[in-house]
Amino acid sequence: MPGAYPAGGPTPSPVRRVLRRILVFGLIALSLATIVRGYGDPHRVFAFQPFREASTWQADIYRETPGGDLIPVGEPWPGGYSWDEMVKGRGLGVPGVEHHAVGSVDSILDLLQRALDYVATATPRDQITERLIAVVRYRRNDAEPVTVTLTSRPRVPGP
Amino acid sequence: MTFRTRARAAVRSWNARLDEWIDYRPLAVLRILLGPITLLHLWPFLRSATGGVSYRDGFYAPYATWYPELPEAIYFAALYAAAAAAVLVTVGLFTRPALWYLAGFVGYNLFLTLTEFHHNRAFLLVLLIGTALMPVGGALSLDSLRIPQVSTTGVRWPLTVLRYQVAAVYLASGISKLIDGDWWGGVVVRLRIERYGGEAMAAGIPEAIIDFAATAGFASALAKAAVVTELAIGAGLLWKRSRLAAIWLAVWFHVAIEVFADVQVFSLAGLAALFIWVTPQVRDRVVVLARSSRGRRGAYLVRALDWTARFRVDASSTDSRFAVYDRDGVVREGREGVVTVAGRLPATFPLAAPFAAVWAIRRLSASAFTRSDSRV
Repeated sequence: MPGAYPAGGPTPSPVRRVLRRILVFGLIALSLATIVRGYGDPHRVFAFQPFREASTWQADIYRETPGGDLIPVGEPWPGGYSWDEMVKGRGLGVPGVEHHAVGSVDSILDLLQRALDYVATATPRDQITERLIAVVRYRRNDAEPVTVTLTSRPRVPGP
Repeated sequence: MTFRTRARAAVRSWNARLDEWIDYRPLAVLRILLGPITLLHLWPFLRSATGGVSYRDGFYAPYATWYPELPEAIYFAALYAAAAAAVLVTVGLFTRPALWYLAGFVGYNLFLTLTEFHHNRAFLLVLLIGTALMPVGGALSLDSLRIPQVSTTGVRWPLTVLRYQVAAVYLASGISKLIDGDWWGGVVVRLRIERYGGEAMAAGIPEAIIDFAATAGFASALAKAAVVTELAIGAGLLWKRSRLAAIWLAVWFHVAIEVFADVQVFSLAGLAALFIWVTPQVRDRVVVLARSSRGRRGAYLVRALDWTARFRVDASSTDSRFAVYDRDGVVREGREGVVTVAGRLPATFPLAAPFAAVWAIRRLSASAFTRSDSRV
């Protein structure tokens, strides 16, 4: 008869029925939890919030030497390193140009901080730099521009 | 009936339906589409891999510090295996293990670095996991030739969970924009139009239209329309009565997004995901056509476009009229029947559904009029 669901499925045991419900409600609860948790996560992982902002950012990145000098990463780097070869994605490799903040400003700031820490540990031939510093200027949607300074974890220069 | 009684009955029915045995045949289309969509998603990673470049060759930010990482050679092998699994998923060979492997790799890859995390990829992962839970390899597949007794039927709960999750994606997105003053007020939309206006003009859209779209009033209206659309789709999908309208809205929503924004595989995944809302019954409507060359052509066309197995086609009628016997027993003939069929075929649904809806409303109002008339 048209309209009938297929018959013949096994009748589940009471234990299986209970387990099924635990699984179904568990998965739905997990999904809800990730959506709610996303509001406190800069990357909104599994919170499904696309096109969240129309913000922009731009950053100047420096190496700080023991004397306190700030040297732009675009200048010759001991060990022959290059920022744009080590860091890619979301405009992070070319920070001096104004970019649309993919995801959000918070997401970019978090990734930039991680990039600074990564570069600080991935440049062993550089025996001078003490730490990396990023001076970030961002504009969240059409709000006033804000400047923040991010610093990498301290490096231990020297052989 | 009080609200409490109705709510209890709804919960009881929902609970009972979790154990219901359904036919996953309509979801075979989703399975076929997931292969190329996942290949498209993996393409940038595959292209880098062919040059010997992986995520590890520069800055990367794993989701968690403890996240396990494979040696590069094994990662490359796993990536190529995922591409092969995507092909197996589409052709339906070793479907279940291929789907699980693909879901596993896409999930693993997603969390390797947050620089590559995007919501459309998370959505694709949800679809892959959800589909892997279902017996979708039993039709339109090599598995169905290899194992003749392979079944397309299974218990409903995986579909219930996937449906909830897909609706939640639209609702989560809509709610987040609704409570964001900049979004609801149109600021985000206006700035995006201003930023990408140049690209739009380069694509041939007149400057006057871009300028008008970037006005505060229009951007505000557009933002509200976008938010309401997302909420309407998310909520509409959850209720049977509004589902067809929500699916229709979702089709055009995804088409519009694809035209106006760069969303990687989201539009394709979103459109493919709409197959989960097809009623999990097969051949529950009968199309009757005349036993003539015209009838045979019509039968061929319906069979060719009936990707979700909605119709049983009978081209042996001596009557020349086109008729459809719906699952509720209602017979629709002639032009109404044609529109009804076109409204249930995926390829013609986006254009035919509004006409089918108009006919359905006409029929409902006519029957209501007849009922009220008979009471008098």
